Amino acid sequence: MTKVLDIPKVNAKNMTEKEFFYGHKACAGCGGSIAVRLALKVLGERTYSALPAGCMSAVGFIYPQMAFNSNAIITTFPGSASMAAGIAAGAKALGQKDFKTVVFAGDGGTADIGFQALSGMIDRNDDVLYICYDNEAYMNTGIQKSGLTPYGTKTTTTPAGQNIPGTITHKKNLFEIIAAHDIAYAATASIGYPQDFINKVNKAKHVKGATFIHVYASCPTGWGTPTETSVEIAKDAVDAGLIFLAEYEDGEYKLNRNPKEFKSVEEYLKKQGRFKHMSDADIQCVIENRDKKWERMRKNWL
Amino acid sequence: MGDVRLMKGNEVIAEAAIRCGCDGYFGYPITPQSEIMETLMIRKPEDETGMVVLQAESEVAAINMVYGGASCGKKVMTSSSSPGISLKAEGITYLAGAELPALIVNIVRGGPGLGTIQPAQSDYFQAVKGGGHGDYKLIVLAPASVQEMNDFVDLGFELSFKYLNPAMILSDGVIGQMMEKVELSDYKPRWTDEEIEKISGSWATNGKKAGGERNISTSLDLDSAKQEVFNHKLQAKYRAMEENDVRFEKIACDDADYLFVAYGSSARICQKSVELAREKGIKVGLLRPITLFPYPTKQIQEMLGQVKGILSVEMSAGQMVEDVRLAVEGKVPVEHFGRYGGIIPTPEEVVEALEEKILGK
Repeated sequence: MTKVLDIPKVNAKNMTEKEFFYGHKACAGCGGSIAVRLALKVLGERTYSALPAGCMSAVGFIYPQMAFNSNAIITTFPGSASMAAGIAAGAKALGQKDFKTVVFAGDGGTADIGFQALSGMIDRNDDVLYICYDNEAYMNTGIQKSGLTPYGTKTTTTPAGQNIPGTITHKKNLFEIIAAHDIAYAATASIGYPQDFINKVNKAKHVKGATFIHVYASCPTGWGTPTETSVEIAKDAVDAGLIFLAEYEDGEYKLNRNPKEFKSVEEYLKKQGRFKHMSDADIQCVIENRDKKWERMRKNWL
Repeated sequence: MGDVRLMKGNEVIAEAAIRCGCDGYFGYPITPQSEIMETLMIRKPEDETGMVVLQAESEVAAINMVYGGASCGKKVMTSSSSPGISLKAEGITYLAGAELPALIVNIVRGGPGLGTIQPAQSDYFQAVKGGGHGDYKLIVLAPASVQEMNDFVDLGFELSFKYLNPAMILSDGVIGQMMEKVELSDYKPRWTDEEIEKISGSWATNGKKAGGERNISTSLDLDSAKQEVFNHKLQAKYRAMEENDVRFEKIACDDADYLFVAYGSSARICQKSVELAREKGIKVGLLRPITLFPYPTKQIQEMLGQVKGILSVEMSAGQMVEDVRLAVEGKVPVEHFGRYGGIIPTPEEVVEALEEKILGK
């Protein structure tokens, strides 16, 4: 396992002016596109991107107006991690050294259909950074529930009614599932905390072997939120404790933010069309689940 | 008139499934067919008929849920669109190999690969000639209207249970997304356990009965001699389908000098082309295969004494035309006209193609 030492810092001041994901057709306020844009700026010109079916491939590969200014390819839906492994192996066989292979896949493409390939990629420790931009449903096909859709979300396949509050399962614990592979480096992030996300991509860039970042990325279209509040809402999710910022490195978990007090969960939920229908009891269920999780994280990771 | 409504083709598939007594639907999102699962989730038939609707984590998972349900003698189905059907291919051939009934709906989009989300008919080979591995056939139904989207769900299950073979509805983005008037079927109750025992008791793996033989659901036989005998049995079944269950429609064929052969949405376009051509004095008819397997080979051959040329019209680069040519055996010219990649041909284009490719000869 490569030790991460003395990595040059990247921030808004010294970040490249070059754009590698530009002129795409994403909806206004798209959080996924912010994540891809920032990550590619950190990873630089010598990057191979692999994207399965999903929002970012749908809005980024509209020929002839290709939005990727570095190499990018659309993979099969279940095979992005495998294809990235192949790209990394192919580039290595060509004698290339100064490159990074990255996957940008959505929550469904990662936690559901793409999971087997991802697990294999980590198991082999292929030299790939896998970034899951999590907008909490299959947004590109019209807002269907995924394994990372949180409790209470109204989607087109989990409609909310008098008896059922939309989605009745909680988000899969993707970060810990990935960490359980004993991966070299894994992290969670949010586009609401861009510097933290940039730091994590930067760290992963310098790790040889499989790395993983789960970035929370708002979606005004699917969430029913004003387009100008995307970054704010992604920050609120962290501040309310529903999304946590953490890392897994050298076999250890690290909690990057441990707020003394959480912001209001109710306020966070009520801002979004997808949660508007939730009853007090449903909100309480979300809070209880959050508290249980934090109790465990604080006990084990601090 | 029964329950008449204005509905989208995809919504009608969902409604027809509930009404025909389907036991389970297993799906995964993909454009342009996501409305099927969405409609079922909103309708929540579990409260009404007890029908189970599950969203799987992938297309592979969905077809294998179908495999599980089918092996218990239940009426189960899945739906997807082209790339998703490719993922289901393994499950489909296992279903055929285990001789299990199931319904698979393909709302075709343009390919290959991720392709486009616009309609196409480029999955004909996949549906009719295999798609998965091994010597197997699907019963393939090609609806040309929203009404047939309704009717073919029940028919698909009926044929599927008649032959113990998976059936496919091969539709496309036009019929799936289009709204039309439809008369919905009356409700049929789901089969009771006793009925399932009567209908499928000889093969369904839903528990060994006291004193009875155990049923085994498998497509594995390591003994080649036995596997060949089984393959003979399958082939005999496919010949029986060809003998008894070919479905087709003929439009303006009685006095036709020329013939369009087209299915699904292309057939709808050709209906208009027939009118336009006849206004120009070209006597052309339309033969619309409704079952793509079994294929109306004989019905095409019966037209050979009468017509001087045939144009196969498909939204593909030329797939069904091969079956038309096999039927015709070189006796009259057979040409193909197609638009593809998500482009839908106009009726005028079809007439022009007829004039150029067939009349010009």
